Amino acid sequence: MTKSLSKNKERKIILQLKNIYKTYQMGDSSFDALSGVCLDIKEGEFVSITGPSGSGKSTLMHIVGLLDNPTSGEVLLEGRDISKFNETKLAQIRNVTLGFVFQQFNLLAKTSSLENVLLPLLYSDIPKNQHQELALKMLEKVGLSNKLDNTPAQLSGGQQQRVAIARALINNPKIILADEPTGNLDSKSGAEVMKFFHKLNEEEGRTIVFVTHDMELAKQANRTIVIKDGKILGGTCSN
Amino acid sequence: MFQLKPSLLDLIKSSFKSILKNKSRTILTSLGIIIGVTSVILLTSIGNGLKSYVTDQFDALGANSIYVSPGEMFTESGSFSQSSMTSMMMKSFTQKDYQLLERKFKKSNIMPVNSAYVDIKSNKATKKNIEINGSNEIYGKNNNLIPSKENGRWFTDEDGQVIVLGYNVAKDLFPNSNAVGKKVIVEGKNLKVIGVVDKKGASMGGPSLDDTIYAPLSVVSDLAGNENINMFVVKAENKDSIEATKKEITKIMLDQYDSDEFSVYDSSQLLSSINSIIGVLTVALTGIAAISLVVGGIGIMNIMLVSVTERTKEIGLRKAIGAYPRAILIQFLIEAIILSCLGGLIGVILGTLGTMVINSYFPAKITLSSVFLAFGVSSAVGIIFGVAPARKASKLSPIEALRYE
Repeated sequence: MTKSLSKNKERKIILQLKNIYKTYQMGDSSFDALSGVCLDIKEGEFVSITGPSGSGKSTLMHIVGLLDNPTSGEVLLEGRDISKFNETKLAQIRNVTLGFVFQQFNLLAKTSSLENVLLPLLYSDIPKNQHQELALKMLEKVGLSNKLDNTPAQLSGGQQQRVAIARALINNPKIILADEPTGNLDSKSGAEVMKFFHKLNEEEGRTIVFVTHDMELAKQANRTIVIKDGKILGGTCSN
Repeated sequence: MFQLKPSLLDLIKSSFKSILKNKSRTILTSLGIIIGVTSVILLTSIGNGLKSYVTDQFDALGANSIYVSPGEMFTESGSFSQSSMTSMMMKSFTQKDYQLLERKFKKSNIMPVNSAYVDIKSNKATKKNIEINGSNEIYGKNNNLIPSKENGRWFTDEDGQVIVLGYNVAKDLFPNSNAVGKKVIVEGKNLKVIGVVDKKGASMGGPSLDDTIYAPLSVVSDLAGNENINMFVVKAENKDSIEATKKEITKIMLDQYDSDEFSVYDSSQLLSSINSIIGVLTVALTGIAAISLVVGGIGIMNIMLVSVTERTKEIGLRKAIGAYPRAILIQFLIEAIILSCLGGLIGVILGTLGTMVINSYFPAKITLSSVFLAFGVSSAVGIIFGVAPARKASKLSPIEALRYE
């Protein structure tokens, strides 16, 4: 469990991107979605990534989420270069290190909240006899103890996103990655979700990275990274 | 190699869950396999039932009987020779052969048979084209044709112009009275009915024994206008002497004919030949039925491919939260296997029930091997046709899959 660290103490870098390029080949022409991105994410940080659509923020998110490999550059997770890992190893790392929250919630249909929250444990090393207890704890944390057996269709958008957050938390990940987490919610539910992220960050010291196109929302983070045309505004690569 | 993280049991559980979310589709998808397995089991059951029925029929025909027919009956491999049917009709034995055989074996052990087709008339009715078998006294006993007491008797070797009628013939010629003691006219000859064979029921293939009539050999020779003998039946002393007796007969016959002009065989040879024909037929029909298993497998592949597309987002999500490619592969493979095994299981149940129903009209006998074979093939079909969709699912990129709408 990541402990809340004092603000003035030097924080450990948890994820480091070094001179990342992501190039898409489109017929004869090629297009750089990311061109030379350097980014450090420190333990306990609350970082937002923002920018206009097509700026490359989704691509950056995928690379931070270990869902995609950069065309060139290094991705260091706790000092380990993960660009050489195969799919299977990456899946394992995602399972224990990252918790995902999506705009579309991405809950399994016709499946209860409890089972949705249990899903990541299917692929984890956590002993089976702890699964149920953990899932119940996570659902309690997001305030849905009374909706254990409800399927997504029986939940409001805000409730569905909270189930998704419980699912993201169950493996006790080092980083929570949220991709437009409020994009499909009304402003009230959206605000609640943001409040919950703040709580996780402040009380538990969770590292949170979230992507949004909404500048106002992005400013709620401790640090805002603005990306445009595949480059971080004001960012430079030190080497 | 690392340990399979979602254990096989967990994967089976989660596969069952996703299959049960779509019950009607599951049933429809399995239908091909259900029909395939059912028909494979039914056809093998009918084949097997037929085999044991034929065996029973042969057991009812005299045991220890050795048959001598003209022409080459069997090929070297033991199956029926192509020319057997024509040669049996074209050639026949002579009285001389009968005398030679009589010299070697007891008269009471040899039955010469001459068959012809005749018209038979009573004062009430006429029947045309009836098979008449001419033979001797022991033929009746050997073939279980002796009438029961109230229906007269079989002929002896001393009888003259007499005839024994099959059950149906007697009923048709003398609808309202007992045929025994009455006169019939066969091809212009007056013959006295001395017995009516008890009802035998339908026989497989050829005409019913109930439609056949019997008379002493001399009577039939008279009617046919020749002294030919179509076949000899020789009774061996016991089971162990069959082979020796066959050799002796062959030796006698070889003095008269070339080896390809006659055949000496016993009922076990006949039986195994017929059974091999039924066997080939069963395999051929089962093979045709097995095609529907393949079609069923293609149905499963089709639905699994649809399912992979439909669940692209789910696959992406699972991958994002830690499912490695093999876990996805195995999950979808197991779903395909469950679909086909479920179909196989229902097919086995339907095949078994169907066999029971058929068995009350037609000989059918279920065998464990056909059940295992059908079930095994249907599971194999599931694996084979499940691989392609499962591979497709496992290779989906998590980003593409999550972006999929």
